[in-house]
Amino acid sequence: MDSQAISRELALRIGLAARALPDTDAKRLLSVLTDCIGLPITEQKLVDLNLDTLKTALAGEFADVDEPLLTHALSILQSGLNVPEQQAYSDGDMPGSVRIACASNDGINIDGHFGSCSQFMIYQVSADEARLIDIRDTDIPDDLEVDDKNVFRAELIQDCQVLYIASVGGPAAAKIVRLGIHPIKLSAIDPINEVVDQLQSVIAGTPPPWLAKVMGVEAANRFRFEREATG
Amino acid sequence: MALYIVEADCISCGDCEPVCPTNSITEGSIVFKIDKKTCTECEGDFDIPQCVKVCPVDNCILPLEA
Repeated sequence: MDSQAISRELALRIGLAARALPDTDAKRLLSVLTDCIGLPITEQKLVDLNLDTLKTALAGEFADVDEPLLTHALSILQSGLNVPEQQAYSDGDMPGSVRIACASNDGINIDGHFGSCSQFMIYQVSADEARLIDIRDTDIPDDLEVDDKNVFRAELIQDCQVLYIASVGGPAAAKIVRLGIHPIKLSAIDPINEVVDQLQSVIAGTPPPWLAKVMGVEAANRFRFEREATG
Repeated sequence: MALYIVEADCISCGDCEPVCPTNSITEGSIVFKIDKKTCTECEGDFDIPQCVKVCPVDNCILPLEA
């Protein structure tokens, strides 16, 4: 039994990698891994594992999984989650930028419910740069009495203009909006870096008026389409 | 009398379009827009304008000054 035990770190990686794959729990991933690299699962074996082997293992169990997802899962297996490093930021560093909060539990994906996520990852995003500037823990300090958890959470990210969440309740959303934060609920759990990339292309292109407004672009400088005659 | 959508605040969610009793709301090239010729502010159909009721953004749909 001892020879088959895997380290806590590897078990964590397998769990996280399974979560990165569609309809996959740790058990399913484990059976595929067992098929392609055998027991015991070791760090070295995982490092030597390549994408094709993973794809064809267990009679092609993962053959239908999108390759980028599988690549992502493999990288988690091999090196764990690489939580991006925080960078310093002071006001004015990035003109034409927007500050976003991402509700996350793992620090990588926007996988958090507003009211229960463990942290908010705070990014400053402009057309050509994105910095992780802060990670805010959502634990309420012991010495603080909080009447409304959701207000506490919304105030935690008060300096952000946009909030990405996997889900949020109606009353909580109203409290977020009241603080001038624009909540965006994603239809699937997406990695933060993909959402940031997408936001960057929107900023670089033609940001919708509401986004231009929260970014502080003067009304006169916002991109305008030709006025349509309505009258 | 008619309502209009504040361009800088509309998030193009489209919630207002189907609730308009006079089909005055359409998706414009930037954001949604209300046809001021046909908008009745829901008078005769409802007590309050339905688009204002469903709009998730405060003060996004306002009365057009005559």
